[in-house]
Amino acid sequence: MTKQIELSGVNKYYGAFHALKNIDLSIDKGSFVALVGPSGCGKSTLLRSLAGLESISTGDLKIAGELMNNVPPRKRDIAMVFQSYALYPHMTVEQNLTYSLRIRGVAKAEARKAAEEVAATTGLSQLLGRYPRELSGGQRQRVAMSRAIIRHPKAFLFDEPLSNLDAALRVHMRKEIRTLHDRLGATSVYVTHDQIEAMTMADHVVVMKDGVIEQQGAPLELYDKPANKFVAGFIGSPAMNFVPAVVGEDGRSLAVDVGEKQTIVLDRQLQPGRKVTAGLRPEHLHFVEPGQGVFRLPVGIVESTGSATYITTSTVAEVTIVETSRRPVRTGDVIDVSIRPADVHVFDGETGLRV
Amino acid sequence: MKRLLSSVRDGSGFDIVLVALPLGFLFLMAGLPLLYNILMSFQEVDMFSLGTFLRPFVGFKNYTDLFAQPETWPILGNTAIFVIGSIAGQFLIGFGLALFFWVNFPGASWLRGLFLVSWVMPGLVVGAIWNWILSGDFGVLNFMLRETGIISGNIFWRSDPNYSLYAVIMANIWLGTAFNMILLSVGLASIPGDLYEAAELDGANAWQRFWTITLPMMRSTIGAIVSLGLIFTLQQFDLFAAITSGGPNNSSNVTQYWAWDLSFRQYDFAKGATISVIMIVFVMFASVVYVRSTRHEVRG
Repeated sequence: MTKQIELSGVNKYYGAFHALKNIDLSIDKGSFVALVGPSGCGKSTLLRSLAGLESISTGDLKIAGELMNNVPPRKRDIAMVFQSYALYPHMTVEQNLTYSLRIRGVAKAEARKAAEEVAATTGLSQLLGRYPRELSGGQRQRVAMSRAIIRHPKAFLFDEPLSNLDAALRVHMRKEIRTLHDRLGATSVYVTHDQIEAMTMADHVVVMKDGVIEQQGAPLELYDKPANKFVAGFIGSPAMNFVPAVVGEDGRSLAVDVGEKQTIVLDRQLQPGRKVTAGLRPEHLHFVEPGQGVFRLPVGIVESTGSATYITTSTVAEVTIVETSRRPVRTGDVIDVSIRPADVHVFDGETGLRV
Repeated sequence: MKRLLSSVRDGSGFDIVLVALPLGFLFLMAGLPLLYNILMSFQEVDMFSLGTFLRPFVGFKNYTDLFAQPETWPILGNTAIFVIGSIAGQFLIGFGLALFFWVNFPGASWLRGLFLVSWVMPGLVVGAIWNWILSGDFGVLNFMLRETGIISGNIFWRSDPNYSLYAVIMANIWLGTAFNMILLSVGLASIPGDLYEAAELDGANAWQRFWTITLPMMRSTIGAIVSLGLIFTLQQFDLFAAITSGGPNNSSNVTQYWAWDLSFRQYDFAKGATISVIMIVFVMFASVVYVRSTRHEVRG
């Protein structure tokens, strides 16, 4: 695989504020990479640095093998889809699409033909004569994408492109963007704060926090083997339960503290007496017959969505359980819950790193 | 009666009162004088019929008489030069300054505020200042032009018929530039920054961004400012009174000053009113352009 974008040792300072800390990231040609993290984690700064809208303070940034540190945005051959879409309000859809071509001096007829071709693939053919103010949010989104596609750039950058759409359209556009990416064989970098978007769309997910890459890898790798507590809590919905625990004397069990001490069995050997945090995904906890569970938990809140029931316990370290069976549960009940030893994540009590 | 009262308190009657009050005010304070002015331009007015309302009707005689006068066309020409010169100077310098302060260097916003000093000053004071600057014998302007070798002898800006009109134009540009700059700055500030980022990624350089993003996005602001400029320059009276009094020999006279001169110095009220009516036509045109351009704002 050739590398389309390579970052090594990239740092970015705003005065005294250290926005990006030693970023190393390489993006294969044709891959779809999601940068995900809470707001202020530096993902947008990183994306804007790729575009050249921000300059990096130290480190190397290469696009298609060329060093780009000091190359202005207009010479990087990169297209970006903005959160606000940034459509030119005084131009029609067609003029918006052909802007980059006209700037480069492409002949009118040729630009028009290119616009029509792109519009046909994105379903904008009927709207070429309209102004952005006459379009719906979803249509504007499509124009923004088409404006990027028409240029055949070296990479597509997406800055939270779906956050202004309603939930149903968001799910739809998610698939549409990914399909488009595959058809064009493009290289895409996609910034989002929504881990579901990152998980569903990307080949490679980069989780960031406070300017640092916490972990990167395939979506399921992040879900199955989160490198630390932060990634574990960030990936997966509803979020993973964290319960303080101590490794038992045999080294193969955990004494977890959910209101009262209870023991769960591990599938690996750990140092006895070590203080850890047990990570239990809500979807890995299952109801069992009374007396057969690992846990006995008092039920606090019951929320039913129809397809699943979300149960939050009334214990001090709250535990959330997702149950798909329609077994009736009510507040105040005591339920028995079990978990497979392989599904128990263990993190160091102090560093939060995966054990 | 009771129903009428309750309608006025809470109902369509209340709406009618709300509309009627400002309409009544406008009619009394602006509409009546305007109509009276138009009426006067079709009447024979002299010192003895000033107090009456119905005077001898003369049709378009005042208009034909006016255009038969030898000074009419030169004064209309002066007005055109004054309006075009002032607006062009105010707009170009104002736009330049607005773009300069748009760079947003430290202190840009309060420096920009300081520029308003020229605009808040009364026209008569500005005229007095410029009288000093323009003074033929000891004026700063002549001094600078002489020292830089642009001119060899002093120019008598205010009393030379070749320069008198331009002397007032200079002062008027100085007076109106700051207002242009502020309005244009507001227009510039309202252009979303991400449009420039998108254009930059689309390959546009600074010059292309200015022509394809800034100027088209400023269209309504520019339309508004030019039509406001037309209205303001046609209202400019103080500078003429302070600097040249329209002279020498009408060389710097313009319609608005001439109308006043005819009415209140020569007591030819009918002619004064006639000129005013001609000016109203131009100002109305500017107002329509202004209203249209503020209504057709291109935003998001």
